[in-house]
Amino acid sequence: MGQNLAKLNTETSLDSVSLWGITRKRLFRRKSAVMGMIILGMLILVALTAQWLAPYDPTKSMLDVPDYTGKIEKRLPPCVHAFGCPQSEPQHLMGLDGNIRDEFSRLLYGARISLVIGFATVSFSILIGTVLGALAGYFGGWVDNTIMRVMDVVLAFPSLLLAIAIVTVLGPGLINALIAIGIVSIPAYARVVRGSVLSVREMDYVSATRSLGGNTYEILFRRILPNALTPLIVQGTLGIASAILETAALSFLGLGAQHPTPEWGSMLGQERNQVFTAPHLVFYPGLAIMLTVLAFNLLGDGLRDALDPRLAHVS
Amino acid sequence: MVNYIIRRVLQSIPQLFLISLVLFLLMQAFGDPIASLGVRTPPKPADRERLRRQLGLDQPVYVQYVVWLAGNDWMKIDMDGDGVPETPGKRLGVLRGDFGNSLINKRPVSELVTERLPNTLLLMGVVEIVIIVFSLAFGVYSAIRQYSLFDNLFTGFSFIGYAMPIPLLALLLMYLFSINFKEWGLPYLPTVGMFDPQVGRTPGQIALHMILPVVSLSIISIAGYSRYVRSSMLEVLGLDYIRTARAKGLQKHIVVIRHALRNATLPFVTLIGLDIPFLLAGAVLTETIFAWPGTGRLFVTSISQSDFPVLMGILMMTGLAVVFFQLVTDIAYSFLDPRIRIA
Amino acid sequence: MKRNLYALLSLLVLASMVLAACGGGAETEPPAVSTEPAAPAATEPAATEPAAPVQSGIAVVTFVQQPTTLSPLYQTQWFSSITTQLWLKGLWSFDSDNNPVLEIAAELPTTENGGMSADGQTLTIKLRDDVLWSDGEPVTANDFVFTYEMFVSDKNVVSSTYPYADYVTSMEAPDDTTLVIHFNAPFAAWLTTLFNTGVLPEHVLRPVFEAEGTLDNAAWNTAPTVGVGPFVFTEWETDSHLIFEANPNWIRPAKLQQVFIRIADDAAQEVAILAGDTDIGTFLDWSQADAINSNGKAKFVTQPSGYDEGWFLNFDPETAHPAMQDVNVRKAIVLATDREKIVNDLLGGLTAVPATFWDSTPPYGNPDISPYPYDPTEAGSLLDAAGWVDSNGDGTRDKDGVELVLRYISNQRQLRKDVQAVVQQMWAQVGIGVELVNYGDDFFNSYADGGPIATGNYDIAEWSDVTSFPDPEQSSYWLCSQVVGPDNPDGGNWQGYCNPELDKLFDQQATETNPEARKELYYQIGQIMFDDVVWVGMWKDPDLWAVSNRLQGVKFSGASPFWNAHEWSISE
Repeated sequence: MGQNLAKLNTETSLDSVSLWGITRKRLFRRKSAVMGMIILGMLILVALTAQWLAPYDPTKSMLDVPDYTGKIEKRLPPCVHAFGCPQSEPQHLMGLDGNIRDEFSRLLYGARISLVIGFATVSFSILIGTVLGALAGYFGGWVDNTIMRVMDVVLAFPSLLLAIAIVTVLGPGLINALIAIGIVSIPAYARVVRGSVLSVREMDYVSATRSLGGNTYEILFRRILPNALTPLIVQGTLGIASAILETAALSFLGLGAQHPTPEWGSMLGQERNQVFTAPHLVFYPGLAIMLTVLAFNLLGDGLRDALDPRLAHVS
Repeated sequence: MVNYIIRRVLQSIPQLFLISLVLFLLMQAFGDPIASLGVRTPPKPADRERLRRQLGLDQPVYVQYVVWLAGNDWMKIDMDGDGVPETPGKRLGVLRGDFGNSLINKRPVSELVTERLPNTLLLMGVVEIVIIVFSLAFGVYSAIRQYSLFDNLFTGFSFIGYAMPIPLLALLLMYLFSINFKEWGLPYLPTVGMFDPQVGRTPGQIALHMILPVVSLSIISIAGYSRYVRSSMLEVLGLDYIRTARAKGLQKHIVVIRHALRNATLPFVTLIGLDIPFLLAGAVLTETIFAWPGTGRLFVTSISQSDFPVLMGILMMTGLAVVFFQLVTDIAYSFLDPRIRIA
Repeated sequence: MKRNLYALLSLLVLASMVLAACGGGAETEPPAVSTEPAAPAATEPAATEPAAPVQSGIAVVTFVQQPTTLSPLYQTQWFSSITTQLWLKGLWSFDSDNNPVLEIAAELPTTENGGMSADGQTLTIKLRDDVLWSDGEPVTANDFVFTYEMFVSDKNVVSSTYPYADYVTSMEAPDDTTLVIHFNAPFAAWLTTLFNTGVLPEHVLRPVFEAEGTLDNAAWNTAPTVGVGPFVFTEWETDSHLIFEANPNWIRPAKLQQVFIRIADDAAQEVAILAGDTDIGTFLDWSQADAINSNGKAKFVTQPSGYDEGWFLNFDPETAHPAMQDVNVRKAIVLATDREKIVNDLLGGLTAVPATFWDSTPPYGNPDISPYPYDPTEAGSLLDAAGWVDSNGDGTRDKDGVELVLRYISNQRQLRKDVQAVVQQMWAQVGIGVELVNYGDDFFNSYADGGPIATGNYDIAEWSDVTSFPDPEQSSYWLCSQVVGPDNPDGGNWQGYCNPELDKLFDQQATETNPEARKELYYQIGQIMFDDVVWVGMWKDPDLWAVSNRLQGVKFSGASPFWNAHEWSISE
């Protein structure tokens, strides 16, 4: 029996190595996934180097910039030297915003915030969702019932509506918006994990571990959860995209990031009255959100195809 | 079978109670509805205290919940502030169909919600039809012409469309078709509202005012759903019986329409069907941007006024619809697949 | 399954199409008249055709918030209160300069005409005998008495009982055109508070009150089909629009045929203004002025409504910087600040610097006082004379080892931060140091919960504040008896300012029932506060409106913006 188990172990680990190998190969073969990774890579680079790339402080108006020589005017259209803006004027690639701040610098710093938003919310909900889903799936019975009924409550509402309600309770702010969006997406992960746990709970290698006296912790975290990883990764990558969109929606409604945080959604929301007089202030942050969401969607889509052999032959 | 239905119905009752309890507790943590009153300056302290008492907001949470649930016509309330309850309550409670009155304009919540519902259903119904038609058309076409120019272009478009933040899309459409087209002397679309007051509320006007919100709402969903249709079509087209049908010499479009389409759209339509209860909640952002008087805007307005009876009403309505549709789906499936009943 | 879903969907769409098209319920057919072009009669003064006034044209007004209710009893929000001027008049309203304009009252009560009793506690108001409700019933003094009763009845959950519960002892109607009001003491604010949101129709609402025991749920509150004003309510579809049609029974017939109020959010409002789809917009921002004026379809209009942005100074010797106790230092701070430049650079020169707290509450602002000029030299010599000199050469003045560094706080609003930054540079030139702090809105505003204002953790705090507009009353900010302390936690004077001379004037004005005499008292109050530098105005903070070029004759007012709606007309 012990030998069998050892054999089983090596087999599964071999399996997983080759699975990852195959996945990587499949992933790199897909043009869209590669494109997603390139955009994402650039975004991460921008986020990491924002303080060197940004010509100005994203939260300071030109009034506060010592020795600033340019024209101090709200919502100044972009001034790019390469496109014929006089050299005497300081360059503002994306113009100035309604508070006389450099829109380009704000956009660069915004990348940092958006990525943090995406990863933080999804980690938060994956963490809680995994624990809840695993407990529900593994123990079954009343534990399962209680957890899943609570999840049903969350699922009974459109997520944006519920997020709005939660963030109103917690008070407007970026962190609270993250928590709200995190909470409303927990059930999705809990379901994924619970499903995976249920599907392998009764499988031989799990029963074997159990009969050998492996403790619950070991069974759950070493034997069962790795199986849920694949769907979780896919769900998580796509979840980052929707988390970014939902945060932007909350910020647009004034419930997310607060002034002067350079968050794209709130930049868009603050200047939405100005779309007709200063379209650049709506267009650039909107485009930035779109690109980021696009990158995660492309990557998530690629990952799903690469990880799910059933779909592999399809497209 | 009957047993299963009864069991399923009984199960949904505690679920609804749980939903209402969670929501009610959530509402307690909301801002103070009294503090947001006041025409120009905040209400005077004496008025605040009086309003809190008269609206029953000074009661403990569990009393407020019981009143919300079962009404207060069986008890007396203190209206004149002498500490002695003297006026009989009038509320019937949710269990008897009374969702209470708005704290702000005192109108019954059910009336407020049912007033908006037709507008939201009209908008979302049209959106849903547009989504179904176009997702099927685009999805099927790009599946049949896999890797064609159209397929590649469309795949690109759908990824971009799916990543669009709705505010950006809506504002850009409005900018282009309402403002710029008017300036350029082209036929232009109206900006906001449901109709032009100079013309009046005609079906034509409503249709005209629906174009931009419908387009903004459906582009994103079409992008997502058509991808879904495309991949389920591809899956079906790869199956043996389709190959057999093709091999039998049936014409391609007959195969596609008669066999593949039917099997590929069933999961898609189920997916859409499960969305229906969520339609009741409207589209918060789009309704806000285009000033469309639907439930989504009612929700946002009520949030800003901490008008929690109205918020409870909207959320309970969607909750009820979701639970009901889940019930219907489960029962429908149990007819189709008897194994479910045992599980 | 699929077919059923399609059927269900199309059914829903059809049903809602029908419902939505019938909407509101009140409206049975689209207003056909509205499509007619403006008739020539509309441009003629209505007075020449009193017999059969011809109304034409629809004015579209955009509100960025939905009115909460229409009944004056339950109004909780500005947008509700401003609609009443269209359809529910009171005794008088206020024009652009805050002067009373008679509506249902026949004359303004004074001591001379016997309207105001010698002891100032009884008011006798003569009403016009020719005013009709929109359904043809006469408006009588009994309607006013009924309105008063409804405000003070504990059966109604009204939004405010001020001033009826605290100041009025009784009200009666000896005959149909005479209204007598008894006060418990001379009440200065009678002119600005009595029935300023209109009068209730007793013949409509008394039966409702008797049947239901309350007016809280009266249909009239949200569908007041009987009113008394140039227009009459016809339809309200929540979150979409309200319609008011011309009221032929009103004493000053309207020129317009309809006022259509659309509810839209502020981005939608700006689109509508720029596209020429709306005639009146409000709740605008300074930054929208350029776009609206340059677009050519509308113009940007400002109207004072009591609000001024200003500095509240900390006078508490325990918590404030010692220099704040010296009036010459306070004066120097103001002289060192170029407020004109701030208004021109940051607010586009669209407003002005107020000299006193009452400049935006006409007629109570003293016209003889003009704001302190920008004079850094004078500021320097004042500081020198007060003993604040830069003795250690660090660029900042000091005295007895204390540096002249003031704590200047505000909230997170960017405009205020910009002002702070500019002020910092201006003060540096005269050697005044500054510590800028910006709090979150909730914390900044929370007086009781250990916020900066409550704890005195500031020397200068900037925000926009208001009188009890159109009434000038706001004395609790400065009365000695209102100074907040352990024994007086509910006081209104957080700055710790106390000046017995000022107290006397404030007490006097509270019971001065003659508006002219009260104005003189406020001139004196303004002078004292100006000389003692108690409050420093940064800029007047008026209501901002946009009016389309096709809508003529619009005059706003801070107290009752739509007071002259009967004169509005459309010219294409």
